[in-house]
Amino acid sequence: MAEHGHSDKFVYHEPGLQHQFSDMMQQEQSVSIGMWAFLAQEIMFFGGLFTAYLVFRSKYPMAFAAGSNRLDAFLGGTNTLVLIVSSLTMALTVYFAQKGNRHLQIIFILLTMLFGAAFLGIKAVEYHNKYVEGIVPVAGWNARAKAPAGAEREEAKPCWQAENLEGDNYVNPKGEFIWADCSLAKLAQDENFLTTAEKAGYFSNGQLDGDKFRDKVRIFFFLYFVMTGLHALHMIVGLVLMTWLLWTAFRGYYNADYYMPVEMSGLYWHFVDIVWIFLFPLLYLLGRHFVHAH
Amino acid sequence: MNAQEATAATSYGGGIPRINYLNAKTTLASWLLTKDHKRIAIMYLISVSVFFLIGGTFAATIRLELLTPASDLLETGTYNKVFTEHGIMMIFFFLIPSIPAVLGNFLIPIMIGAKDLALPRINLVSLYIYWIAGALALYGLMVGGVDTGWTFYTPYSTTFSNTYVEIVGIAIFINGFSSILTGLNFIVTIHTMRAPGMTWFRLPLFVWGHYAVSLVMVLGTPVIAITLLLVAIERFARVGIFDPAIGGDPILFQHLFWFYSHPAVYIMVLPGMGVVSELISNFSRKKIFGYEFIAFSSIAIAVFGFLVWGHHLFVSGQSPYAGMVFSFLTMVVAVPSAIKMFNWTATMYKGSIHFDTPMLYGLGFMGLFLIGGLTGLFLGALGLDVHLTDTYFVVAHFHYVMVGGQVVAYLGGLHYWWPKMTGRMYSEFWGKVSAMLVFVGFNLTFFPQFLLGYQGMPRRYAAYPPEFQVLNIFSTAGASVLGIGMLMPVIYFLHSLWWGKEAGDNPWLLPGLEWRTSSPPPTENFLTPPIVTWEPYEFGEGSGLELEAERRREAERAAV
Amino acid sequence: METTNWVPLFPEQASTFAWQVDSLYFYLVAVSIAFTIPIVLAIFIFAMKYRAKEKYGSGAEIHGSMVLETTWSIIPFIVSMTIFLGGAIVFFNQYTPPENGMTVYVVGKQWMWKLQHETGQREINELHVPVGRNIKLIMTTEDVIHDFGLPEFRTKADIVPGRYTYLWFQATKPGKYHLFCQEYCGLNHSGMGGWVYVMEQKDFDAWLSGNASGQTPVEMGKDLFENKLGCASCHAGGPQQRGAKLEGLYMSTVHLTGGGTVVADDNYIRNSIENPASQVVEGYQPIMPTFKGQVTEEQLNALVAYVKSLTPGAPTSSSSAGSAAPSPAANTAGAAAGAANSMAPPKADRGKRTAPGSNPNTPANSNR
Repeated sequence: MAEHGHSDKFVYHEPGLQHQFSDMMQQEQSVSIGMWAFLAQEIMFFGGLFTAYLVFRSKYPMAFAAGSNRLDAFLGGTNTLVLIVSSLTMALTVYFAQKGNRHLQIIFILLTMLFGAAFLGIKAVEYHNKYVEGIVPVAGWNARAKAPAGAEREEAKPCWQAENLEGDNYVNPKGEFIWADCSLAKLAQDENFLTTAEKAGYFSNGQLDGDKFRDKVRIFFFLYFVMTGLHALHMIVGLVLMTWLLWTAFRGYYNADYYMPVEMSGLYWHFVDIVWIFLFPLLYLLGRHFVHAH
Repeated sequence: MNAQEATAATSYGGGIPRINYLNAKTTLASWLLTKDHKRIAIMYLISVSVFFLIGGTFAATIRLELLTPASDLLETGTYNKVFTEHGIMMIFFFLIPSIPAVLGNFLIPIMIGAKDLALPRINLVSLYIYWIAGALALYGLMVGGVDTGWTFYTPYSTTFSNTYVEIVGIAIFINGFSSILTGLNFIVTIHTMRAPGMTWFRLPLFVWGHYAVSLVMVLGTPVIAITLLLVAIERFARVGIFDPAIGGDPILFQHLFWFYSHPAVYIMVLPGMGVVSELISNFSRKKIFGYEFIAFSSIAIAVFGFLVWGHHLFVSGQSPYAGMVFSFLTMVVAVPSAIKMFNWTATMYKGSIHFDTPMLYGLGFMGLFLIGGLTGLFLGALGLDVHLTDTYFVVAHFHYVMVGGQVVAYLGGLHYWWPKMTGRMYSEFWGKVSAMLVFVGFNLTFFPQFLLGYQGMPRRYAAYPPEFQVLNIFSTAGASVLGIGMLMPVIYFLHSLWWGKEAGDNPWLLPGLEWRTSSPPPTENFLTPPIVTWEPYEFGEGSGLELEAERRREAERAAV
Repeated sequence: METTNWVPLFPEQASTFAWQVDSLYFYLVAVSIAFTIPIVLAIFIFAMKYRAKEKYGSGAEIHGSMVLETTWSIIPFIVSMTIFLGGAIVFFNQYTPPENGMTVYVVGKQWMWKLQHETGQREINELHVPVGRNIKLIMTTEDVIHDFGLPEFRTKADIVPGRYTYLWFQATKPGKYHLFCQEYCGLNHSGMGGWVYVMEQKDFDAWLSGNASGQTPVEMGKDLFENKLGCASCHAGGPQQRGAKLEGLYMSTVHLTGGGTVVADDNYIRNSIENPASQVVEGYQPIMPTFKGQVTEEQLNALVAYVKSLTPGAPTSSSSAGSAAPSPAANTAGAAAGAANSMAPPKADRGKRTAPGSNPNTPANSNR
């Protein structure tokens, strides 16, 4: 056990050893337990959202299926691939740090950042698409489009025959959340698989109510934006972390004996990846068979 | 001289060392940018005391208003804000940080023989976050406050309340991270920073208690963070999952809220229990009875505490079968606390008991927590809870466990470790007086509230039916005594800083590791890093204190 | 089924399961005493007997005892299980409504209770029930969570927006019992109380048919105005006044918002109760809720008679010019409590006092 006298000037310290630790092993153990504990609490943080999602999905499966099908699974899937590759480059960063190869370390940090930025870019495209389609759940936060002058007012169709307003038909003067198509609810009603909550939640006076169905779809999009938004925030923090890692790696702080910060950053990055692995199927892949099988 | 004696002799033998953590550097920056856990603890002490005073002022206002049945001192709307802010300030900004951030921060490294916590900069960040959150909460209070109750039930808080729910909600959200980082730091420290020879079962029970509470802080707090964040978003964006008018579910809010807030009440008692284990065994000068049982019961309470949140939802519209499960588990979680109570009592058997102020607080805790814990059984019994929930019975119960429990333990701990932290002794006479005033005043204030609750007086009422007035007057009278008892320490503690007798490093000649360094300790805690070879609460042969005891007896004989 | 009226510390037992709840309570008190006395006694005895004899002496070397630990883990566990079982049984009784019985529908809103019997009879802040019959309440709320609390019946249940919750009881003694809102719901939570009147079956039948009291129309109208319908909370005068002054109103000339005047005759008064938004007095906010459908014809007549009686010298038909038209002094700011009744989503008020007269829980002389 290393002994320390009154003055640290006369005792050799390994570079990077913090003053409160007696040796590097203690420091590494501490940092590792700390990071795992931190990730555990992050799981609890997202856990609240997953709980809310599960509760509402089991109450209103048709509304959630309808919303989920409007998400772009291709972009979501691409993002999943991007993140998985970024986790690979991150793992390689740690590997090369362990090997003491500063050059390749830096390359892989850069690649990781590239993929991370790509993820955020694709996310931004997705969010923008929601904006122009009028499915951002906050009133006023969607693209506004007045009805073209002289357009004939079509007779209001019941919501299970209405189509969602897209492209030239997109009319949204106040930028509200618009959802016209409740056909999935009608399907469930006809084939008798509505849940108890749905039997009350979609209907007014015994009739399918498009506005009530829309409110439930809106909840799906609310959870979508909060969950992916929180995840994106964590990605941004991850990118900041990578920037710091890049700088310190460039300055040569890490070597075969001391690369704990790289490993801990890797842990964080993998965690953010894993959260997405759960988010993607729950949000994007849900209920596709209802739409495509009928 | 063997290792124990050597460690015992590293003290200066009395008096305040010329250089200690308080005066090592004296610039403002050296305090605000410090990494020293002891300085951070002192800054927390000052901060939590401020919030305690604010919350206490609100308490006094509530009791004054409730002297008369009508809502005459305050308008009803103001009263609603006062009780809400009383709850928020006391729970989030005083009780939850109190013992861990003040006593835990100060003592855990010393008790395990380390130089500092494992992550000192995280400790400092935790303090900064607490200050930012506190400032935001105070700002929210000053611009008008909140009137939703500290429980923020929806849809009142998301849609109907006209007060600053977002600001205060975000303040609590931010404060949660202070709590999480403190807990995280303790977990890491207790795992990796123990001195050589300090095995898990040689740790003081104060440390075990803090380990258990850290598990709760780290795993539970994020849930309230996300819940309040969602409430704030729902208020702001008018879309969300809690207001039924837009398709949400108010009972989901209650489940998410109480999933944290029930474990939170164990955050507000486990550290206190850790302190009491120290007080009882040290002032009985005897090993604690059933060390392993007390240690494991803390862990059991932390774990089971996560399983009982539904007992706050018995009448909420939750399914009766869920109610039965939660009631059963609530009864189970009561058992570890009972075990502790018996073990503490048995510790006093064949002890050599001194009745210094800290011991009085320790005994006070035992009496008050006993009543508080037993009345928890009343509320955990389903059929009885239907009658008692949302009445003053609940108010009395939780004040008995939180104030009679944690606050009394906090005061006991402050009195016990004051000489260690400051190097000074306070006036023992006034200490005893205030301890007794607190005990008597507390019972006078809150016992009548059990009766009021059974009679049916609802809680959160600014105005109440006249037949409840007599007991309310008793309660307010008691509150005045309690208030005096709690304000007195402020005076004599401050007095002791300038005019108190120098304590010396081990005023009561106790075996704990914290008493084997100077008072106040040097910045690095120990001049020579200790090596531990003795059991905790070792008063007998292995303590190494015999030499010092003999020295003191000599000195006293000579002084006569 | 004993009653405990003579003990001032417990409310009356007025329902069939009240004695069960009280018995559980007494059992728990007994258990608490049974645990408290030995522990406190032990603490006292040890404190005295083992007081330090020598300043630096130490206590005996005792580590623990497996036997004791096991004993005092198992016994409390068994006791707590008995408490759980007792509680679960009573709970089951409290929340399993019997098949046969009367149903009453309850709607809570900030800050009043609206009840309706199966036969159509409506009540506000009061519930009349016959003794000895099962009463089932089916409840919901229009705004926030409230709680229908009946201490003397030892039961309560939250009412939650967006769903129905239920409660049942069978009253055992005629009398007047408290109804409290027991979930914090905003400004006037403490004022949201009322009374449950338990009556003999024949009295209940008489009440149900509408003519329980022998009051004159003016007396009945006064009772409705001050107590049952909460009109006084806005119209009673004093600094709380949000509604037009009604003294001297009858047959005076009233200026309406948006210009125009009208004479305050019987029809005007009736219309103000049923459709207040259609003719708002100038200088006042359009916040009075409508009572259409909430008052019977008979009650409407009584109210009109009462308002007329507030103008001195105004018999039922003559039209003497009373005092000046209600002064349009805008003496309030912001939405009053009544706004909650007519606007959606209602916003709670800030900083307004409980109005005198509208709260059955406060003494009548709380006039500030």
